Amino acid sequence: MLDDRLHGKDLEWARDHLLRCESCRERVEDFREMMMRVGRLPSAPIGAVAMDQAFAASVPERIRARASPARVFDLQPPPVDAGPEPILDLPPQPVRSEVTNVRDLLSDLEREIFRGEPEQDHPTAMTPTAGNANPASEAPVEVAAPADAIPVEPMLLASVVPEILGSDLHEVPLDSRSAPATTPQEDLFDVARIDALPSPERIAAREYEAPTVPAFVAASGPVPDAAAFMEAPAWSEEDGSGAAIADPPTTPPPPHHPDTVMRLAVGLGAAACVLLAAFLYEGGLLSRGTHKTSATGPAATGTATARSLPAASAPPSASISPSPPPAPVLFRLGNGATGGTVYRIRPGTAVAGYTRLVFDIKNSGLPAMVIARPDALHITITFSGTSGVGVPVTGIRSFQVAGVEPAVQQGPDLVITVDMARPDRVTAFTLPAAGAYSSRLVVDLHTS
Amino acid sequence: MDQVHVQAPRSRARTGSVERDFYSDFPLLVNYVARLTDDLDEATGIACEAFRQATQLKRGQVVEGLSRIVVFRTATELSRQALRPRRWFRRRRSNGMTLEGFPQPEARRALRRDTVQRALTALPFEARAIVLLRDYAKLSYDELAEVVDIAPRKLVHAVDRSRAELKEIYEYIKF
Repeated sequence: MLDDRLHGKDLEWARDHLLRCESCRERVEDFREMMMRVGRLPSAPIGAVAMDQAFAASVPERIRARASPARVFDLQPPPVDAGPEPILDLPPQPVRSEVTNVRDLLSDLEREIFRGEPEQDHPTAMTPTAGNANPASEAPVEVAAPADAIPVEPMLLASVVPEILGSDLHEVPLDSRSAPATTPQEDLFDVARIDALPSPERIAAREYEAPTVPAFVAASGPVPDAAAFMEAPAWSEEDGSGAAIADPPTTPPPPHHPDTVMRLAVGLGAAACVLLAAFLYEGGLLSRGTHKTSATGPAATGTATARSLPAASAPPSASISPSPPPAPVLFRLGNGATGGTVYRIRPGTAVAGYTRLVFDIKNSGLPAMVIARPDALHITITFSGTSGVGVPVTGIRSFQVAGVEPAVQQGPDLVITVDMARPDRVTAFTLPAAGAYSSRLVVDLHTS
Repeated sequence: MDQVHVQAPRSRARTGSVERDFYSDFPLLVNYVARLTDDLDEATGIACEAFRQATQLKRGQVVEGLSRIVVFRTATELSRQALRPRRWFRRRRSNGMTLEGFPQPEARRALRRDTVQRALTALPFEARAIVLLRDYAKLSYDELAEVVDIAPRKLVHAVDRSRAELKEIYEYIKF
């Protein structure tokens, strides 16, 4: 059965067992699938010249000399893609009758695995070389010639087609460059025929037929019926002439797209949603609602800006309105020294009650520092006459601190904004340089 | 299933000439080595070297044909050596074997894109050789046992285990 290893009673037993045992059947199916997939792997063809080169390089001269000068055998390699060779010509006859009637599950599996795949099923079949040693692969593949490639005698076709179609047909001369002389009834008939076409063809047909309608037909033709009149009001209104009114076949209906209204409605609805979201976001209504649900403190006031908290990269001044109210100053610290640099911001100890931020300042003294609170969730620290735009601020986050925005140099002053996760109580103090430490500003954000 | 019958060795006619055996087995050997080493360029050199070693006779010995087992066994061993990690002071020796028009770029690309080939590459060398020799080169169990030097009774389980491992890898990477 699998891999042709079982015969006789063992094969019967295995088939019988596979019918009943699901796990064994799955295992055998897996084996069988991989055996067939590996067995169908394509082979890279080797040309005859390459084979001769390899033979000359591989076989010593004294053995090569004994080889017959003319090959009397074909050089076809053994078929790799063929399935496993059957060992026995006839399958073993099962002894038990109930096994005889059982269909071969593995044959079904093979058909299932390679269903829809041709014999050369592998992803990219390797193309044979020009000098392929395999004569079978050099044989031209018989491809069904396309139908248009078959030469057909025109005279033969002309003699055969009327016999097929019948003898009651009459020949109509057609000239694609000149307009056919049509009566209004025929035009009406043509309109009905055109209306049955799909819309693009209908439009194209109308565009083609519009200039070809002679004017005298429209002027002298009979008045069409009301239904045809109702179908084509557009062109008649544009032209404003009776001839156009009397020419219903050439008047196209207004472009009727039933889904256009739906598309417009959906687009307008989406735009309205975007505008509404932007309005709510800018007005702070969404952020207020969020803070209400968090219930960690009082709601933000209406003047709270809608800054994105941790990932905001814009400078603090970018979100300030043109006439902002003066931010309440919490602390004024420092000695007024200038020329310093804030080179490091350290988050303090992990105490549950507060978060400490230490601003290390490289200077002989402490600059004048103003700590203000523009809103409940932000504090700004202004270092007068101090630089330090590139001070690293990433990764500073805690229960109280949502983040520290990049430092902004506003003239001689350096402004650093701290985003708080919740409205907390702020305390601050300074420390002079001592030992290995430089001058420091310490800001504590306490949980309210 | 307490008895496992192993297929009897097929009597392969060894009356053919060296040339006949070479021309019939060389394409298969090159493709086998290419799939074993995952390198179509190195495969020609290894296959030629395997045939060269198989045709080296002792003094006075006359051979009518090539031993397929010896050829595949030598090629497998040479492939194993080619895949052995090299130290910095052991430079990889190129065999310098180039055949005209081989390998084609399409064949190289096909080898690279083949999902089954990628799954084979992820197999251990022994399992890969067993699966390829049995299912691709269609060696009989006795030939395979001699090539990989495993007892036939153990070989049955080794083949099954290798196929199961290949199936597992193939299922993992096929999408």
